[in-house]
Amino acid sequence: MRETPAQVLVIGLGNPDRGDDGVGPLVANQLTGLLPADVEVISAHGDALSLISRSVGCDAVIYIDAAAPLTAPGRIHRVDLATSELPKDLAPASSHAFGLTEAIDLARALQQAPRDIIVYAIEGASFAGGAPMTAEVVAAAAEVAGRVAEEVERLRRVPGKSVVNA
Amino acid sequence: MPTEPTTTATRTIRVENLARVEGEGALDLTISDGRIVSAALNIFEPARLFEALLRGRGYMETPDIVARICGICPIAYQMSAVHAIENAFGVTVGGQLRALRRLIYCGEWIESHALHIVMLHAPDFLGYPDAIAMARDHGDKVRSGLALKKTGNEILRFLGGREIHPVNVRPGGFYRVPRRTEFAPLVENLKDARDKAIDLVRWVATFPFPDLERDYEFVALHHGDEYPINEGRVVSSRGIDLDIADYETVFEERQVAHSTALHSLIKERGAYLCGPLARYALNFDRLPAAVQSLAAEAGLGAVCRNPFRSIIVRAIETVYACEEALRLIAGYGPPEAASVPIEPRAAAGFGCTEAPRGICWHRYTFDGDGTIKAARIVPPTAQNQPSIEADLVAVATPLTAQSDDVIRARCEQGIRNYDPCISCSTHFLKLTVHRT
Repeated sequence: MRETPAQVLVIGLGNPDRGDDGVGPLVANQLTGLLPADVEVISAHGDALSLISRSVGCDAVIYIDAAAPLTAPGRIHRVDLATSELPKDLAPASSHAFGLTEAIDLARALQQAPRDIIVYAIEGASFAGGAPMTAEVVAAAAEVAGRVAEEVERLRRVPGKSVVNA
Repeated sequence: MPTEPTTTATRTIRVENLARVEGEGALDLTISDGRIVSAALNIFEPARLFEALLRGRGYMETPDIVARICGICPIAYQMSAVHAIENAFGVTVGGQLRALRRLIYCGEWIESHALHIVMLHAPDFLGYPDAIAMARDHGDKVRSGLALKKTGNEILRFLGGREIHPVNVRPGGFYRVPRRTEFAPLVENLKDARDKAIDLVRWVATFPFPDLERDYEFVALHHGDEYPINEGRVVSSRGIDLDIADYETVFEERQVAHSTALHSLIKERGAYLCGPLARYALNFDRLPAAVQSLAAEAGLGAVCRNPFRSIIVRAIETVYACEEALRLIAGYGPPEAASVPIEPRAAAGFGCTEAPRGICWHRYTFDGDGTIKAARIVPPTAQNQPSIEADLVAVATPLTAQSDDVIRARCEQGIRNYDPCISCSTHFLKLTVHRT
């Protein structure tokens, strides 16, 4: 019997047509070809509740999302939800009832949350419709893509829930 | 900390930011000498100007533009628009294309109703601050609600190309229609969803409901032989029976100082109610016998006037939408073409369909090349605003001796009876009670 690598899901959140809000999908695009074939990378925006079912069965999920301006555009925040909570002032605003924070809290309440949840939040500056992405945010995306690739390798070394008879 | 009633004559209760609704708004309630003197919904989302930005755009762009009005009910806007366009250009879409339109609308009813019933409204009845807290004690129900929502979204993705703002709807039909074999996974999920929806009806029927009956004038579409979704005449419980083209002869929109959304009224009588309670009351005989029996088992008659029991009616409609979707799929055979030919002409056209929250009425005037000269869109939440305000007076009146917190909580629950989509209506919520 051998252990399978942990199943890792990477989700870039945001709307590419809303300036810096598109940084999550941009990072997801930049990860193409950089990750092992069994690591799914998706871009998503709109309905955070659907993320719960998408991550069911995964051992780890990495979210990349834009954050409201706090200190400087492009500043990267890494939050490991095993050891800390997603700061409320980083939580991306949503005009609808459920954002990423609520989706994660609900998944935990339903005992459907992956073992590991890592959030990369990148501070943005402009979220206007059709606006170009801020240069500092574009630069941060490249750095986050590299860090996520390393993070995936680390998370995959943690044995997954499922085991395969050799 | 609970706020106790003040001893001064005037009380002002303000809900600063209403949770678990789509969009932003507030409520001001004024109590004078123990009597509710006003209840005002302050909708402060900025106007989004969709009607103005549609002017000068081509008819083929319209379904994709109006879908952006709402992320929860884009199909309602797309369907009202394409029917209006076809009405203007003298085109009728029938057969399997019509059936597919009804099917995608069933998907929207399922996802929208499931979201509201379980995630937004049920916590009110069971004393939880939100669905996350409720999930710790009622995890199976929340999982069912999410599964139902997912199935509804799957229908939208299957026929519309994606869940939010689908891209496969066009005037004349669709850009692509599915092969019969492609439906197989959806059918299995829908059968499971139907069972979950039936369970949901039985669950919400056990909730404690405030004793309130309102004398609404119900307004909904009515169709000769089906529960209304995409087509029908505009009818009311007090005798209105109109072709949708004549809507403006009986209904009007008025601007009010406290809302960026226009208030809709029946010119001669004032407030009316559209949405699930109205649809159900005016079309009960169009529901299949099994669904009628389930409604009776859940304690509903053919008419329900208690706005709090709208959660049961939504659950009944969710069952119906699952049943109807399965029926439509069983009868499906691919049409010869994904759309019927359509030629623009200088004309006006009208569309009215049953969004999850009520009738969604559209009027467009086109140039000879199909360019939009004028557009008018009347969303359901805007139509229900006067009824919401009247409900709040009725809901708060027996509670004036209670604390502001008690009044605030019950009023928020009363507003959520409507599953209001403030973004659509620009169009919602905070509650302030003024006591004098």
